[in-house]
Amino acid sequence: MSTEEISGICKEAVFSTFFKSHAKALRNYLFYKFGNEDQAEDITQDAFIKLWQNCADVPVEKAKSYVYTIANNASLNVIAHQKVVLNYAKNSGKSELTNENPEFILEEDQFKTKLNNAIQNLNETQRVAFLMHRIDGKKYAEIAAELEISVKAVEKRIHLALVELRKEFDHFK
Amino acid sequence: MEENYPLAKWLNGEMTEAELKEFQAQPDYAIYEKIKKHSSSLEAPAFDEATILTAILKSPKKKVKTISLTQHWLFRAAAVLVISLGLFFTYNNFSAAKEYAENGNQKNFFLPDNSEVVLNSGSEIQYKKWNWDSNRTLDLEGEAYFKVAKGKKFEVNTALGKVTVLGTQFNVKQRDNRFDVTCYEGRVKVNYNQTEIVITKGMSVSFEDGKMLQLPEITTHNPEWLSHELAFYQEDLKAIVSEIERHFNVTLELKTADNNQLFTGIIPAKDINISLEILATTYHLKPTKVDRNKYILESLDAL
Repeated sequence: MSTEEISGICKEAVFSTFFKSHAKALRNYLFYKFGNEDQAEDITQDAFIKLWQNCADVPVEKAKSYVYTIANNASLNVIAHQKVVLNYAKNSGKSELTNENPEFILEEDQFKTKLNNAIQNLNETQRVAFLMHRIDGKKYAEIAAELEISVKAVEKRIHLALVELRKEFDHFK
Repeated sequence: MEENYPLAKWLNGEMTEAELKEFQAQPDYAIYEKIKKHSSSLEAPAFDEATILTAILKSPKKKVKTISLTQHWLFRAAAVLVISLGLFFTYNNFSAAKEYAENGNQKNFFLPDNSEVVLNSGSEIQYKKWNWDSNRTLDLEGEAYFKVAKGKKFEVNTALGKVTVLGTQFNVKQRDNRFDVTCYEGRVKVNYNQTEIVITKGMSVSFEDGKMLQLPEITTHNPEWLSHELAFYQEDLKAIVSEIERHFNVTLELKTADNNQLFTGIIPAKDINISLEILATTYHLKPTKVDRNKYILESLDAL
């Protein structure tokens, strides 16, 4: 009866689709959490390798929480073993069409730098929730499921993150 | 207000028209709007999906399956091993154990409860090892000496009669038509046909052709045959001859008509020549060795 499901995630096509829809989000989540790009990538890869190797034992509908759990456990070990130096790569590339005056552009750039610093200074839980929403465009419900917390808790983290970020701009006009 | 997390609602575009109006009126709104705008243009570092996916798909998935197959195979082998061991032990325990002493040999062994048994030449004992402690019963053919460990009832069955004891030392001798029991310690109950008799230390009882013979009290602590002596009480020549045959693993041919005289006494049985000489003197016989294992006993009276 379960042969149908077993072959599910074991099929290369199914696995690839699953990987493409979740791998980047998982990597990003880990990256927001402890800022180390290489490790985030390694842990993501390891988690998916485990899923691939144990595909026969993992039903499709459990696959997502499976990789998140493995990644979470692995990241716990990493954090326990080394203090991660947060290192934010900033790629706020796609600036809007700029026919503004140079002063405005300078101001905007200053704002961006400050915002980036402020995000770095957020506490981990607020930063993770905030960036999952802003960068990955996830819904609060999705964030809640992945972090295994309530939607209300996600809203609280986002709200507090915004309050914190706002404090950085007290003197910004 | 704080419980509602309005900023979260706003960021997610969940505010109602009215709420939004109110929020936009606040001086902080411009800053929040800027945060919202710029944070949405943030990007995480590039992620090389294709390379990682290829690496993952190359990782040996099949290996896991092979291991699980090996485990199945190992489990099967282990199961077969366990079952055959089980059968082996069951067979060992349930099947009757057999101890046998050939002619010319004595055999000393221990039962599962450490009771000691000495089998005289040409005798056999069968018993069940399983549940021995609560069912101490054995079948004897021939003669044996028992040193029974304390415990439940201990039974010796022979073709002629049954001996039941608690912890004790006793000798059972069953021949063609004669059944001897000697008790060296404790109490022994002997069943012969319908008769039941209890003997105590130093007593012997003997049945021959259905008749009970009362034997004198013994003074030894062990049966004579343990120290290579043959003891007889009112036994005929034929019985003595077969006893000697058994003890030395030889064949004796008896050429005499008259063998009704009964013999009582001890014949040393370390050397067959001495034993035969004593027998010959007693019965007026002339022993002649015709082969390595064969003697002829000829009656002198007949000459």
